Amino acid sequence: MKRVGVFVCHCGLNIAGTVNIKEITDAASKTPDVVVAADHRYLCSEPGQALIKDNIKQHRLDAIVVAACSPAMHEITFRNIARAAGLNRYQSEIANIREQCSWVHDNIEKATEKAHVIIRQSIEKVKLNELLDPITVPVTRRALIVGGGIAGIRAALDVANSGHQVYLVEKTGSIGGRMAQLSETFPTLDCSICILGPLMVEAYRNPNIKILRLSEVEEVKGFIGNFKVKVRQAPVYVDETECNSCAECVKVCPAEVPNEFDSGLTWRKAIYIPFAQAVPPAYVLDAKSCLGLLPQACGECKKACDKLGMSCINLDAHPETHELEVGAIISATGYEMYDAARLTEYGYGIYPDVMTSLEFERMLSASGPTSGVIRRPSDGRIPKEVVFIQCAGQREPETALPYCSKVCCMYTARHAMLFRHKVPDGQAYVFYMDIRAGGKGYEEFVKRTQEEGGVLYLRGRVAKVHEENDKLVVKGVDTLSGKTVQIDADVVVLAVGMVPSQGSRELANTLKASVDENGFFAEAHPKLRPLESATAGIFLAGAGQAPKDIPETVAQASGAASKALNLLSSPTLEREPTVARIVNEFCSGCGICVPACPFEALSMNRERKIAEVAEALCEGCGTCVASCPSGALSLRNLTDTQIMAMIRAGRG
Amino acid sequence: MSQPRILAFLCRWCAYAGADLAGTTRKHYDPNLISIRVTCSGRIDPSFVLEALEEGYDGVLIAGCHPGTCHYISGNYKALRRFTLLRKLLRQMGVPDERVRLEWISASESDKFVTVVNEMVENLRKLEPAMPVEQHT
Amino acid sequence: MQSYLYFPGCSLRTVARDFEDSARASARALGLELKEMQGWLCCGAVFPNVADNVMTNAGPNRILARARAESDTLVTLCAGCHNVLKRANLQAKRNAIKQEQINEFNEERYEGGLGVLHFLEVLRDRVGFIAIREAAKTPLRGLPVGAYYGCLLLRPFEEMKLDDPHRPSVLEDLLFSIGCMPVDYPKRTECCGSFLGVGAPDAMALLSRNVVQAARSHGAKLLTVSCPLCKYNLEESQKQDPKASSSSGPLPVVYFTQLLGLALGVSPEDLRLSDTQLQTIRGGAKSTVESVSQT
Repeated sequence: MKRVGVFVCHCGLNIAGTVNIKEITDAASKTPDVVVAADHRYLCSEPGQALIKDNIKQHRLDAIVVAACSPAMHEITFRNIARAAGLNRYQSEIANIREQCSWVHDNIEKATEKAHVIIRQSIEKVKLNELLDPITVPVTRRALIVGGGIAGIRAALDVANSGHQVYLVEKTGSIGGRMAQLSETFPTLDCSICILGPLMVEAYRNPNIKILRLSEVEEVKGFIGNFKVKVRQAPVYVDETECNSCAECVKVCPAEVPNEFDSGLTWRKAIYIPFAQAVPPAYVLDAKSCLGLLPQACGECKKACDKLGMSCINLDAHPETHELEVGAIISATGYEMYDAARLTEYGYGIYPDVMTSLEFERMLSASGPTSGVIRRPSDGRIPKEVVFIQCAGQREPETALPYCSKVCCMYTARHAMLFRHKVPDGQAYVFYMDIRAGGKGYEEFVKRTQEEGGVLYLRGRVAKVHEENDKLVVKGVDTLSGKTVQIDADVVVLAVGMVPSQGSRELANTLKASVDENGFFAEAHPKLRPLESATAGIFLAGAGQAPKDIPETVAQASGAASKALNLLSSPTLEREPTVARIVNEFCSGCGICVPACPFEALSMNRERKIAEVAEALCEGCGTCVASCPSGALSLRNLTDTQIMAMIRAGRG
Repeated sequence: MSQPRILAFLCRWCAYAGADLAGTTRKHYDPNLISIRVTCSGRIDPSFVLEALEEGYDGVLIAGCHPGTCHYISGNYKALRRFTLLRKLLRQMGVPDERVRLEWISASESDKFVTVVNEMVENLRKLEPAMPVEQHT
Repeated sequence: MQSYLYFPGCSLRTVARDFEDSARASARALGLELKEMQGWLCCGAVFPNVADNVMTNAGPNRILARARAESDTLVTLCAGCHNVLKRANLQAKRNAIKQEQINEFNEERYEGGLGVLHFLEVLRDRVGFIAIREAAKTPLRGLPVGAYYGCLLLRPFEEMKLDDPHRPSVLEDLLFSIGCMPVDYPKRTECCGSFLGVGAPDAMALLSRNVVQAARSHGAKLLTVSCPLCKYNLEESQKQDPKASSSSGPLPVVYFTQLLGLALGVSPEDLRLSDTQLQTIRGGAKSTVESVSQT
């Protein structure tokens, strides 16, 4: 018979305020097999832990029940205490008398009675717990990073430089992401591609990093330390090792489509280079905008390339599936802009001179549609009056996005400042609700924009934008002066929100990670575990997890890399031993359990005609146990006997 | 515990977390419910439900993750299938539907948990109080 | 004959008889009947929309309860009545505590189950603009009309959900289907001044005149509305300042049901159209494009 000790936590007044601690401690001490019952104000504290360890030694306990907060909080803490005191860690059970008792009931008598039953349940369970040791599995010491923006690149470099191989999977033809589209970055006004470019090249040259462009993750199987990933690469029509960017193919291509890199402000051919500094430095053939490949409708690009004696283009290329084995996965899928056409009050999509911030960004850029000269999209004239609207379609739970995208106040200040530099006789107006400038140097930058930059900041919202006499009439309000304001603008720039990249939800499903209600990847804990998803082995970096600026993205990327390296640092990994087990004598070989397992951990042994459990694959859900008609399967430390005992513990 | 008593099997990834969240947000519900934390709603053998009813529990709640979000991918689908068959069996035995309920409760749906508990208690109050099997003889 | 239970409201029985008569006549021409509900009373105008609205919602709830006894759908014409009844209906669904107070006070219980529709919704969703186009025997060829929505039909969007609050199109779509050429102008969803005409007539005049001016400068020959108060304000503001109106005289204001009825072949007398209004309609139609694509 096991010698059980019961320890009841007051948790200050969190539990003691609603549950009679003395009563339940007394009752516990009188329960069969309980040799000692003690209480303490804070069992998780040093003295509390010491109390438990001392009692274990003094009373030669075999198992402990800790009646306190939810096991989600401290199951591991108390298992470790048990271990430290010489017990097997699985001889510790938590009775949740806080989250599911003292915090949700107000009648002291009833709450106490219920706490009593909860403790009895845990006593019954721990009495039957086996002594178990964690299962060791080997770790595949390679990482997969999904998304080749600054987050993915930074994480890839960190992991690669520590000596592990990295697969960097990127959906488009080049790594670089959004940062490549920016002109300058706040608050230093560094040229964005100038600081990004060297990192892109470094990633390309690093022997430990393999960049898979035009690729998407199709399937993920396995578990932490042992993922088997299928990555589908679209047909690579242009060989990146042969292509020397001579651009002869572009000259002869007849198909033209809007250029995504320039937010649709310019055109590109079906065969194109994503942008000048693309890495890998090769062209891409976009099958969707090509006149036809099956059957071949044109083929001019290949002809031009072959004429030069190059053989970069293969129009018969096929998609390829790469089967990769990795131990850790980092999701760095980034963001895109909210669809401004949904904000009908601003007229985006109706009036050509209403632009999104990303379009304006491209226009500011030296490599952009107008080589950095700001022009009205409608007639090409230089605008003199530009209105910037912050919080466009954000912080509006009823009609648009409920959250704040964090970076718009800063980039709007930068946009306004740069506009004033380029058009010194122009006037910029910024309609804002608040100014969120919390980073290093950010507040000073905004002040400079207002004072030196001469940008007029109006605290108020814009009700409507409409066109009249070739001007955009912006009707808003200035709450600080209490007046309505009307500005006849040449261009209106909307600071729209950041939303998760297209395909994030699908990727989350594939990775078996979760997303939050806005579609961003969900972190394991919003405060303490922002770099990991709730799924073991999958880490998060960048704006795909939540809107953030570049320094935060880089910091998070290095953090996620460090978590991944943690995982890859040892050749083996410990897994929970609370897995399924078969009593061979009872197994009738019916095979019902095999398809019941979602992880394919069960299989039939053809010679012995019984089922077998692959412990390394078993996640311990117990679905097979409930499906077994012979009772041959059981789940370690959550057996049918234990559950029945817990059901019966409600008596009395 | 006073009647009606409910035994709840809560899956540790979703439903149990949802019930915990009711605690952290201090939402109150009827103290006549006691839970057993299971790894997955797929772990639940119908015989647990029958045992609970024989023990004298007035009602049994099984709660797991929403379809498509099961931490173990498909455990909740198996739970649903078993529950459907169990429901047929219970009806044949004359057990009113209100006594056994299957719900999908996610880790953030503490409101739903509280609503379900309070509803079940209300519905069970209208039925005859359950008695443990031994007491019948 | 498809019959819809119908709530007239006070104005439609007094100063706005032309609205009701033209609505009923055009409904008939489309094979619909607007059947007046029993025991209706004043909706309360804007008072039911205040925050502390238990008392002021007693009236609307009586209307809803009595309508519910006869049907599961209630059709309204006046934008003001529509706004009040639709929102009272929503509150009944969302705020059980207030609803219980109102029900106890009234001693006539409204327990939900009624759908409140505006006549435009009936035309758009139940009849369909294609059917209307086919039924328009005498389309108003190319008549440049400014559709004026005002506020109460569309806002608050979260509760009204009739059309896009900033760029609505239901009136324009209806006007297209009867052959008109609706004019897009910036002020079509801005306030006419509402009850300010009583306490601050200058403010009301300014707001209404802005609407008229904008419509006129974009080529509209007349305005069409769905609210007796909007009509009053738009006409009154023009009367008050004859200098502001152009040499061609004030911009006439008609109800959309009058234009609809005319296109369906109903006589101008039955639609209560004045001579001036009729003249503008006939004249305006001829003076622009002869044939208009009716898609």
